[in-house]
Amino acid sequence: MKILLIVVLFFASLFVGYAFSKKYRKRQQFFEAFVMLCQKFDVEINFSKERIKNIFLNLDESHKARLLGIDRNYISFLDQEAELSKELLFKSISFLKEEEKDLLFIFFKSLGRSDLESQSKEIKNYLTRFEGLTQSAQQDNKKYGSLSVKLGLIVGLFIVILLI
Amino acid sequence: MLNKILPSDIFNILHNKVNLNYVNEIRLRADKPIVLSIGGQRIFLGEQGVTANLKEAKYASKIMIEDIIFRASECSIYSVNEQIKKGFLVTQGGIRLGIGGDIVEEKGVIKTMTNYSSINIRLPHEVRNCSLPVFTQLLNQQTIYNTLILSPPGAGKTTFLRDFIWQLSERNYAYNVLVLDERGELDLGEKGGLGNFADKISFAGKTVGFENGIRSLAPNIIVTDELATQNDVEAVMYAANCGVSLLASVHCDSIESFCSKQNFEKIISERVFQRYVLLSMRNGPGTIEGVYNENFARIRS
Repeated sequence: MKILLIVVLFFASLFVGYAFSKKYRKRQQFFEAFVMLCQKFDVEINFSKERIKNIFLNLDESHKARLLGIDRNYISFLDQEAELSKELLFKSISFLKEEEKDLLFIFFKSLGRSDLESQSKEIKNYLTRFEGLTQSAQQDNKKYGSLSVKLGLIVGLFIVILLI
Repeated sequence: MLNKILPSDIFNILHNKVNLNYVNEIRLRADKPIVLSIGGQRIFLGEQGVTANLKEAKYASKIMIEDIIFRASECSIYSVNEQIKKGFLVTQGGIRLGIGGDIVEEKGVIKTMTNYSSINIRLPHEVRNCSLPVFTQLLNQQTIYNTLILSPPGAGKTTFLRDFIWQLSERNYAYNVLVLDERGELDLGEKGGLGNFADKISFAGKTVGFENGIRSLAPNIIVTDELATQNDVEAVMYAANCGVSLLASVHCDSIESFCSKQNFEKIISERVFQRYVLLSMRNGPGTIEGVYNENFARIRS
């Protein structure tokens, strides 16, 4: 029974460490997806003046998956099913800081509101800011992602030693 | 389509308490009452439907106007900026929004319009058979006479053109019809609306549309709306010289005002059009005042 408890606690500790590292990885992928989104917008808007909704609908599935439902939430606003709000946009995302939410919210609010030249400039501006966020998320992932796994392992081992 | 562009409270009133079949225009001006145009009469929109009492009228706001334009552009203003620069926007389904606001100009070129302050939403209506009273008078042995519809704004010239195209198809006149739909108003998008023999070029100017259309689609008849500029007139002359029959429209309220209209001297002197149909609002939009020949002699009253 004691050995079983030790094994359970060890794996629980490992899991917590892994969950933390996954959060950092998700965050990095999320901002990378926004960089890609801005690049796609810039091309689609300038090339074919494609409508915002179609751009979202035509994203490939892996890209959509990394946006964590924010695309679906925004489309529900475009379809007049809901008002555009932070609660609507970020309802399935917990890892964003308040200032990051503000930035993303303003980004979504600006979509489709101006002529081609201004919209393209705005998107390039947001692209730069999302690239900055991606870099910082990459660093956080490198620093804290692997650290979380290691910490989980160390804590697990510590529990094992303590209980043995 | 109206439900996709109007705020839900305004749409619900229009849908439930006003007969939209009789509404020609909805005018929204920032901080002013919403006005409906019904059969040429102007009346306010209130909570309980139409009202003549200003105190009961619903008011439009600047944000409401901006949101309607945003929605009408399918949430992508940049994709319709070329239309907005010309002061209008046409949605799917042929609803046309005339837009008032601040023009942004750079080096004499209009870049866009901002600070929207008013919209005139023109609701298209399909009035089946409205062209029938004069239909046979516009046909000749080969195709149709070159015909110009003369009408003041809102008197039904686009509806007439739309119905005439449909009548040709419905009566098995299998002419290749090219519809040059410069503002996206002629084709309402519903199945079979323009009949079975019509090709369409949308949102192109008359010069480009006529040249490309004649070259690529070899039409027997070209139908287009609202001739106005010298370029439009030259495009018409080009088409007429290519042996294509024409059905077009122009803004004016009488034969006399048409004859004194700028840019049209050549069309008149060379008798490009053999038939003129004059429309008015006398008995409501689409009232046919008369059909005239190339010498402006009345052949039907």
